[in-house]
Amino acid sequence: MPFEMNFGWTTPIGEVVLGATKADGGTRRISYRIGGGTTLPFLESSPSSPAPLIAFEICDNPDFWSPIVKDYCGDVVNNANEWAKKADADYGADLVRLHLTSTKQRNFSDIASLGSVVEGVLSATSLPVIIEGSNEPKIDSEVYQKCGEAGQGERLLLGTAEAGKYRSIAAAALAYNHSIIAQSPIDINLAKQLNILLKEIGVQRDHIVIDPYTGALGYGFEYSYSAMERIRFSALKGDTDLAMPMICSSADTLTIKEVREAGDGLQDETAIQWELFTCLAAATAGAEILCVRHPGTIVPLRKALAGMKQPAQSAGVP
Amino acid sequence: MRTVTFLPSYYKIDVPRGTTVLDATQRAGLSMNVVCGGQGKCGKCIVFIRSGRAEFDRQKYGRFFTEPELQKGGCLACETIVQGDLHVFVPESTLIQEQKILVEGLDHEIEFHPSVRKYYVELHPPSLADPSPDLSRFLWGIQKSGGPVAEKMYAPLAVLREMPSILRHSEWKVTATIGLVPGGYRVIDLQENDTSKRVYGAAVDLGSTTIVVYLWDLVTGKVVGVASNYNKQISCGEDILARVNFARKNGLTKLQALAAESINQAITSASNSAGIDREDIYDVVVAGNTVMTHMLLGIDPAYMIAEPYVPVVRRALSIAASRLGIACNPNGGVYAFPAVSDFIGGDIIADILACGMGEREEISLLVDIGTNFEVVLGNKEWMFSCAGAAGPALEGGEVLFGMRANPGAIEKITIDPVTLDPKYSTINGIKPRGICGSGLIDLLAELLLVCVIDRTGRINTGIEHPRIRKGTHFPEFVVAWAKETDTGKDIVITENDIKNLIMSKASVHAACVTLMKEAGVTHKDISTIYFAGAFGNYLDKKNATIIGLIPEIDLKDIKNIGNGAVTGANIALINRRARKTLDDIAYRIAYIELNAESSFMDEYTGSTFLPHTDFSLFPGVQELLDSCRIRKE
Repeated sequence: MPFEMNFGWTTPIGEVVLGATKADGGTRRISYRIGGGTTLPFLESSPSSPAPLIAFEICDNPDFWSPIVKDYCGDVVNNANEWAKKADADYGADLVRLHLTSTKQRNFSDIASLGSVVEGVLSATSLPVIIEGSNEPKIDSEVYQKCGEAGQGERLLLGTAEAGKYRSIAAAALAYNHSIIAQSPIDINLAKQLNILLKEIGVQRDHIVIDPYTGALGYGFEYSYSAMERIRFSALKGDTDLAMPMICSSADTLTIKEVREAGDGLQDETAIQWELFTCLAAATAGAEILCVRHPGTIVPLRKALAGMKQPAQSAGVP
Repeated sequence: MRTVTFLPSYYKIDVPRGTTVLDATQRAGLSMNVVCGGQGKCGKCIVFIRSGRAEFDRQKYGRFFTEPELQKGGCLACETIVQGDLHVFVPESTLIQEQKILVEGLDHEIEFHPSVRKYYVELHPPSLADPSPDLSRFLWGIQKSGGPVAEKMYAPLAVLREMPSILRHSEWKVTATIGLVPGGYRVIDLQENDTSKRVYGAAVDLGSTTIVVYLWDLVTGKVVGVASNYNKQISCGEDILARVNFARKNGLTKLQALAAESINQAITSASNSAGIDREDIYDVVVAGNTVMTHMLLGIDPAYMIAEPYVPVVRRALSIAASRLGIACNPNGGVYAFPAVSDFIGGDIIADILACGMGEREEISLLVDIGTNFEVVLGNKEWMFSCAGAAGPALEGGEVLFGMRANPGAIEKITIDPVTLDPKYSTINGIKPRGICGSGLIDLLAELLLVCVIDRTGRINTGIEHPRIRKGTHFPEFVVAWAKETDTGKDIVITENDIKNLIMSKASVHAACVTLMKEAGVTHKDISTIYFAGAFGNYLDKKNATIIGLIPEIDLKDIKNIGNGAVTGANIALINRRARKTLDDIAYRIAYIELNAESSFMDEYTGSTFLPHTDFSLFPGVQELLDSCRIRKE
């Protein structure tokens, strides 16, 4: 008999749709409706709520990527389209998150090329796609404009809006009906402020996914956990400015000392474990999307999430 | 002993049989109208004996009464001798009516009842039949003229040494200056002949930058002179911390002398303009922050600036003026306001006295903003306080074109929502040189209302308008074009300035909320918000609410009290009862250390938004902003 717990929640988390199928005017084979939760995750009393989605992160210029992942994946990292295909077919991801790392090159100006990169990935995989644009104020506006245009009709998730830069990304999202990742530095108030700013320039609640910023486990994750927990509590208690799904990326784990300095032959295993447990912790705090960079993380993560969905007894938990 | 009960108050006092009722009333602290000095001549001290046994010659004094009054037990207090336990009714008209006066900066009158009074007495010379000592004769004379009870007065040695010659030389016609001191009354001074019209007092706001002195005639209850000047301690350090460090390097004596000198200079110029002699100033009341007060008293302030931040003394102190080098009558007293902690000093206690929040049932919030800010929340039963650094932005510091409220400072601004052209006024109406605190608050609110900045204070550079520019380092908004200004340069506000302002306002608001949470009250429970401090007078209440500097309450319940420190000092100078409550007020206030409050940082982040991340705290502002957004689109 599961516990009947009443927390006094009043408001469900808002829903965001990622990806557009043919019926919705896109070309994705599936679309996801995330959010909608009415209580905390993994409660025995509500086992039917869906498990978090797993997104695999790729990039268009591997110079800016973790060597561990590059070594593990091999040549495919040099071809975003092939990599996306592999993420879909071989690694078993639910989503592909494309980082336009090419924009990080000094004096990058070939904005036009980004359109074809995005289009290429969209045709290589029919999963819904997350696009991470540039991080350079001078070209932001054009980059987001290009990404938005290239993904028109596909209901992309565009990243990443911050309090200091949200106008250009919001403009692209509004123009082409995409959703936005709104990132704030591990603080409930700042998260709410950014959502309000976006709302005030016309971005609807059902087009925002909160990124509370995920510190690596052992490197500040407890702050992320606490911020996420408070965001979710406030949302369920009726604060509609925080009632959005959350996305967490464990990308920071690949740069920590334990992973970098793991002995020969142990690096992959250490990276996978670290990503796995960071993601599991984020899922416990309520994340709807978990992003990983090591392909080996996806299978054990999915297994663990499925286990956590089962009632304690049948999962063999004493 | 016989018990005399005074009606209507039912105040009881035990006196020996044979005492006059007048004596008993004086012992009970009732100030009676004794014009003739208690000789049964004036008929002003009328009381009614309701029950009990007393001796009174109705035949002799009947002329002062109507028949019905005699029926009701009418007597003259000075000629009625207590025989048994008595119930005595004292009509209102018999008591000295308190003079009420209006103090600058207050909207209500204060009872005029100073701590120092002069009494002119004409004494009977001693004789073989009446050989009582000079002092007793003198004190009795004062008591009989309506002064304090003889036993409660104390004459210091200096006065006793002068007494025999002054009494005899003046042919027993003298003026005594009596001051209320803790535990009784003190004969401050003794002068020949009638000088009773010449008694003055000074109320001093001892600020770290400026000193303000109000000179009062303590007979008429009028302000006769006002003066202010800079604190000369500035030569030993601009800010308080620097001065404390100066004190630590054997500089305390110098700082003490400079503080006294600064006060003296202001007192002298006020006395000169009023045409009075400084020797006739008998009472000096000083309200200053804790460090300034310590320095004036020559007490080492060093232990206040390092953990665990303890002052040497927090209670009110009365000191002879001569010991501090204050230039008034050398026997005059200096009263220093009490403090709560090193950060909540006498200036804040003076603010509290000025706004009267410590006497009311309703909850008030007091906000005093300078480089540091102090916040006090509470009512007559409890009070919480805290202090913090607001940063200098609200005073015009750390803002590119910020300045203090000096001539040429833009102090008021509105911005046209369509043309985005500002309309401003400057202090003294001259060409603008910069923007002072009140102007900056206006500017922030107006820029938000016309949607030039978003709620985090970022300038929307997407708006195409000549006044909105990318700037050299930060985006900026042009408030005044070079051709309009005194400096020949564009006066702008940058995104960085706005960020500093928001951080300042956030710390003030977060402090208010922290105290409210500590006390378990919400903004709905606050009846009045008082603004004190230099720019309190000029601050636009509506704009202060729009930017979320203070919690949102009805605008009519926000009051500016201006320089509360000097107002409080004025009250304490002219009303002895108010002065007596100060230690009580200070002890009632609990100090909340914001650094130790884990929730403060959270409140602060919530406040770094215009007006606040939690709109439910600012329903009116939210409504206003919603309507302005509609207008914009």
